[in-house]
Amino acid sequence: MTTNGEMAMSGMESATVAGSARRKALGTMLVRLGAIGTFALILAYFALMAPGFLNFYNILNVVEQSAILGVLAFGMSVVVIGGGSDVQTGGIDLSLAANTGLCAAVFAVSTASGFSLPVTFAMTIGAGVLVGLLNAVAVVWLNILPLLATLAVMNVVAGAELILTQNTVVSMASDFTMNIATGSFLGVSVLAWCLIVFTLLMVAFLHFTGTGLRLYAVGGHPEAARAAGINVAAYVGGTYVFAGLCAGLGSILLVSRLSASTPGTGELLLSIIAAALLGTVFSRRFVPTAGGTILSTLFIGFLANGFQLLNVSSYWVTGVQGTLILLVVAATSFAKPSER
Amino acid sequence: MSTQAQSRASSFFSAENISRYAVVLAFAALLVVFSVASPTFFTGANLYNVLLNNVVLLAIVALGMTVVITAGGIDLSVGVSVDMASMVFIMLLAAGYGVPLGILAGLCAAGAVGLLNAVLITRLKISPFLATLGVLFIGQSVQQIATGGGQPIYLVTGEFASIFNAIVRTQVLGLPMPLIILVLCLGAVYAALHHSVFGRYVRAFGAQPGVAWYSGIRVPFNMSMVYVACGLLCGVAGILLSSTVRSYVPLSGNAFLLDAIGATFIGTTISAERRPSVIGTLLGVALLAIVKNGLLLVGWNFYWQQVGVGVLVFLILALSFGLRGRNH
Repeated sequence: MTTNGEMAMSGMESATVAGSARRKALGTMLVRLGAIGTFALILAYFALMAPGFLNFYNILNVVEQSAILGVLAFGMSVVVIGGGSDVQTGGIDLSLAANTGLCAAVFAVSTASGFSLPVTFAMTIGAGVLVGLLNAVAVVWLNILPLLATLAVMNVVAGAELILTQNTVVSMASDFTMNIATGSFLGVSVLAWCLIVFTLLMVAFLHFTGTGLRLYAVGGHPEAARAAGINVAAYVGGTYVFAGLCAGLGSILLVSRLSASTPGTGELLLSIIAAALLGTVFSRRFVPTAGGTILSTLFIGFLANGFQLLNVSSYWVTGVQGTLILLVVAATSFAKPSER
Repeated sequence: MSTQAQSRASSFFSAENISRYAVVLAFAALLVVFSVASPTFFTGANLYNVLLNNVVLLAIVALGMTVVITAGGIDLSVGVSVDMASMVFIMLLAAGYGVPLGILAGLCAAGAVGLLNAVLITRLKISPFLATLGVLFIGQSVQQIATGGGQPIYLVTGEFASIFNAIVRTQVLGLPMPLIILVLCLGAVYAALHHSVFGRYVRAFGAQPGVAWYSGIRVPFNMSMVYVACGLLCGVAGILLSSTVRSYVPLSGNAFLLDAIGATFIGTTISAERRPSVIGTLLGVALLAIVKNGLLLVGWNFYWQQVGVGVLVFLILALSFGLRGRNH
């Protein structure tokens, strides 16, 4: 039903827009500049007001702190790309943060019980992928709404984490995790390298491979993608498995950074959603892109960092973050050609 | 004659019917299972307790969510509306203003949260997901600032006890006040959604947003009403919540968010078109409530309860969505 509406709408749009293609191009340009401009203005304010904000080490520090959120936000972005960005029926993985918590618990507990590094590594990634697979089965085979399927899985996974850790901090440290947490290469810390390399891989995968292009096709118009011979089910299912993989990788960074698995990882969910969805305003067609996701992740990181440097009470930070996110999004939607 | 009866019988057990009534069947099955497993489950006192403590508040919040989801949106800030009403109500009571003013101001605060959502979504054209997420962040911050970092406010002295008792314990026609309020909210939302012009518009927004716009419906105004209504309903829940626990605990409303979304979408499975409905939402709320209560009585600890709720909801959804096949 929705598809008919969309088709009718896009038909009307193309009819009215055809005549003013240049104005539309200009409008789209303004949109992107609006979001990036707001982003730049806020950073410029911090650069002027907060001493040391533009310091190389401070910037590196923010990149390092954003590594975990970045990896998870990429997982969420891929799910949104493959599932479409409809508010209710689009792709979303609410279990991503809880899954990260479970993987972190698996990593910490298995290391504590004496398994060797490759085994714990495999168990952690395996747990993440398994949860992703469960989401994929629920969404693709059982046809459950992603919002609802991943909500149920989130409950199961969060409960499993509690059972595994008995709601306590499981501390762990090994040479490997110490290397990730404190090591550096060419003057840049390992955590920052992880984010940089992961981002480059995502840019290459999403925007320079056929698979990435087909993934966008699947999310943009599943029927057309199916008609073009793309295995839509495999692509959509794959996005959830990939999100699970990201949860596994993110959890290893998380445990390394904290030297422990801690309860409450599930609270990352809102930040992950914010990073992935905020990224859409940086793209021309308002879909998540690798560049948009990394920009918005860093934006969220820079906001928290800037407020710390300005000595703003932490009570204010989430509120101002929320306001600025709305500001950036509003700057975009004002310039957006009218769309219902 | 007999073949007709046979075909009727087979159609009664068709995949379509099983998938549509999966929630009802599961509800009945769970009632039986828990009644057998725990002697205290199927007693008047326990069911009354579940109804009063687990169903009423979630049901009122879920009704608000139902209105928003019917209109094709989503509201991640229901918890903020609940908290704002609770905060303003308790703060005014503590400052010595009367109950009527406290309730009125509390509802206004919750309505204001809804209005903020409405302005962001209809005027600034921000997607409901991002708009309400932003409001959620702002609302959490406002509460932390107002309470010095999240200090709860308790009103436990005698004079307040009588006020709260008057709100929560008063009985009308033998029914406690919260139940009466739930029934009133149910009736109002049911009439508004299913038997009014406004409701027809709202359902049109959800089904065919483009067509609703081109048909000349005042989308911004009606859509604003949707979010304000959701805020007000959450405000009612917030005032009932703080009257029940006789305090305001910052950021406590967020606990309703995922349950309300879950209950509403579980409710969509009983409609052939997968649309939310008041009855469906109520069924979803009741299902979540008895699963939680039942697992508790059977003796599962909190951790396993969470897994149990997740698995049960997953299975019900699988039964409901899976049997219907790919028809979207």
